[in-house]
Amino acid sequence: MAALIHRAEYAQYDFGPEHPFTPARLEMLLDLLRELGVELAPLAAPPATREEILTVHDPAYVEVVEALSRGESRPEAEAFGLGTPDNPIFPGMDLAARWLAGGALHGARLLMSGAEQRVLQLGGGLHHAQRNRAAGFCLYNDLAVAIQAMVEHGWRVAYLDIDLHHGDGVQSLFYDHDRVLTISLHESGHYLFPGTGHIQELGGGYARGLSLNLPFEPFTGTEDYLEAFDTVVPQALAMFSPHVLVVQAGADAHFADPMGDLALTTQAFETLYHRILDLAHRHAQGRLLATLGGGYDAQVVSRVWTILALTLFDQPLPETLPPAWIERWRPLLGETPPTHLHDPVPAYPPMPGAELRSRHNRDTVSRLLDALSRYWL
Amino acid sequence: MLVQEMMHSPVVTIPPGASLQEACNLFSSRGFRHLPVVDGERLVGVLTDRDLRWATSALCPEPRKLDEPVHTAMSRPPITIDPLDPVEDAARIMREHKIGCLPVMDGPALVGILTGMDILDTLIKLTGISLPSSRLEVALDDRPGELAHLTAFLAARNVNIHSILTYPDADRLVRTVLRVGSSQVRTLAEELRQEGFRILWPRPKPWPH
Repeated sequence: MAALIHRAEYAQYDFGPEHPFTPARLEMLLDLLRELGVELAPLAAPPATREEILTVHDPAYVEVVEALSRGESRPEAEAFGLGTPDNPIFPGMDLAARWLAGGALHGARLLMSGAEQRVLQLGGGLHHAQRNRAAGFCLYNDLAVAIQAMVEHGWRVAYLDIDLHHGDGVQSLFYDHDRVLTISLHESGHYLFPGTGHIQELGGGYARGLSLNLPFEPFTGTEDYLEAFDTVVPQALAMFSPHVLVVQAGADAHFADPMGDLALTTQAFETLYHRILDLAHRHAQGRLLATLGGGYDAQVVSRVWTILALTLFDQPLPETLPPAWIERWRPLLGETPPTHLHDPVPAYPPMPGAELRSRHNRDTVSRLLDALSRYWL
Repeated sequence: MLVQEMMHSPVVTIPPGASLQEACNLFSSRGFRHLPVVDGERLVGVLTDRDLRWATSALCPEPRKLDEPVHTAMSRPPITIDPLDPVEDAARIMREHKIGCLPVMDGPALVGILTGMDILDTLIKLTGISLPSSRLEVALDDRPGELAHLTAFLAARNVNIHSILTYPDADRLVRTVLRVGSSQVRTLAEELRQEGFRILWPRPKPWPH
């Protein structure tokens, strides 16, 4: 059973009606869980304080976010990645982002005090935010704030990122840190935002070998993805032996997501979640802190994250979606809404080039392992 | 980009009368592979680690001893470049002569050195990723105004262009690779397609949805 962290204020993190990172994604998810009869007693966490944000962000950056949040105009906003199509400025953005960081931090504290073993923060996962820059819909790096608190507690922290995009913000914030292992699986930066996450990014100084990237070719499907995951992630965690596993559980690697080109199915996500629980049990003393992340297709994200929540709650998955939920969300679900929790099998016709793609993905894994053999004894 | 922006300066040199042993010590202690040989103020040659290894090799018909002077083993005359010459000239000269460095001469004065590694650094700078961004690849017709049309389209959507690279493709097309400061590049590509642009990346998804 997992503790659930959420509060209504998370909906304040809203870049406007035209923006893909809409709070409606969370509303739909909560509504689906409720409609399925899942007992939700979410814990409401306080917002992260300015000081807590400053444990990972630059004061000059936070100061600009606060000023823009109050409605002041700042010519240097764009140099901090703000006021762009990805990160529009909105009133109250500082507090909105601190609510999310506060939730992740609260989750970390529940684990550190021993009160909980598994925590799911329903929101956040803002992995692109950098020390002095907003990027890719991410203002404050909630994951990094939580990781930093656990590092200061004396823990070794393993971070696993299954979002479609490279977890560049978290990676760079802990690139030289020998108590944080970061592993990111994503569509290759040769093709997709943010352009980084290559196998050569291995960490710096004493932390060389503690930054791992598994970039996949566009249109990579479940089989290749899971094979790479199984080849690299368990042995990395076994080698590092962390006190806790932090997971950014973005849902945008799903084949129908409009942002990118990976081709996972809901079945793949279910398998992944079970793998993650098993790995937390084997290598992280059962401690798991999971957040949401990217995921932009209305027909997909509620289903994928419902599978995540139910798996973490040790509850069985229903086969079909409640008709009342479908009716309520029809404006977003469209004319042909999904009727089942899982994707149909097969979810899409076979794609050309599978053999070449698999070979390329396998070569990438081999090159990564070859490079790592210099650092892992 | 100009040679003076890419070169290393100041430059470590060696006199023609110094011994090969001294040159070897400099190569290994400083991690160099190229040493301009300077007689007083005058550049007279370049000693590379390859020159040194050949001159002292048992395979060399007249192998030199380690206490013999540098000028017996150096390459000459030196091939040099001006600090205001552009990167493309530097790359072409090094490629044509199959050499690994160019001493940079401002009139009679040796002001720096440019190596193959500096050219690679420049290539990384020109093509690499400095900020979180997405790849957008477009095939433009080779005629006036095409690039302006594309960039105006991006400007109207407040999309910042971090870098732009073009090279000639077949069929009189200009392949244009942009790094744009937005993660929503698929939406952008779709809008560009509707505007009539030939988008090479991102591609439409191969599955129906």
